[in-house]
Amino acid sequence: MSTYQWLLFFHVSGAFLLLGGGAIAAALNLAALGRDRPSEIVLLFGLIRIAIGAILLGTLLAFVFGLWLVHEAGYGYGDGWVVAAIVLLILGNALGGVGGRRDDRTAQLARELAAAGDAPSPELRARVRDPISIALSYGSGLVLVALLAIMIWKPGA
Amino acid sequence: MLAVIRPDSWNLPLFLHVLGAVVLFGATATVAIAGFAGLRWKDHAALLSRVAFKTWLLAVVPSWILMRVAAEWILGKEFPDKTPGWVDVGFTVSEGGGILLLVLGAIAWRWARREGTGRAGTAMPWVASIVVLALGIAVFAMSAKP
Repeated sequence: MSTYQWLLFFHVSGAFLLLGGGAIAAALNLAALGRDRPSEIVLLFGLIRIAIGAILLGTLLAFVFGLWLVHEAGYGYGDGWVVAAIVLLILGNALGGVGGRRDDRTAQLARELAAAGDAPSPELRARVRDPISIALSYGSGLVLVALLAIMIWKPGA
Repeated sequence: MLAVIRPDSWNLPLFLHVLGAVVLFGATATVAIAGFAGLRWKDHAALLSRVAFKTWLLAVVPSWILMRVAAEWILGKEFPDKTPGWVDVGFTVSEGGGILLLVLGAIAWRWARREGTGRAGTAMPWVASIVVLALGIAVFAMSAKP
């Protein structure tokens, strides 16, 4: 296989881990939205950490091998679609990161409540369904879908 | 090396194919994660069995259909006559994986019906993991096109 083929494989594998990790996080987050018991929310938010690992590894692979591919395939680093893809990758991770920090605080509250009798709490319920956290997390997912579209259409290439 | 530019008419089916494939990858991995977690945290096995079955029903099945239909769509444009070997790998994984996904759905349904108890919970995450690995092989074949 050529260098180009190997680079494309690692780049696409990164994209799968990144977007697949986003799908895992979304599925577990949706499950948590319907729960009230703190210990269940602790469990589901804890499992989302597996998705975060996949997202971080996927981001690294997609970014590094993507930049290498730009050079190998004869594109320019200043091409509009390349710049747009980098901006969207940073934006998607930033939105997901901010949303994730809010979810960490919710998970901390859920752990405390679980240790204190595991009774449902209106505060925890409100935090799990916090519209800002939901908008940040799902907004991040939409940005990544837009990034996928840019990578396929390559407008201006 | 100069990049290969695709005709514009291939982009939408390719986008839908890849989108379906990444969601399928993530959703099947979610079923595996819920299954392994159910084996470890028995107290929450009932919840995790419902998460696994709902994920299979609402994410795995629609994403497999999207991936497969879009694959046929782009195949008709890109290879109307004869398919290369890397496409055949994709067919093998998607059709064999489709059968395994039906088995996975049946096991997940049974596990959920039994509130997270029984042997179905032991088999389910392993079946899901096999599908995830097969999808990884398909990603290699589809991207590197060896």
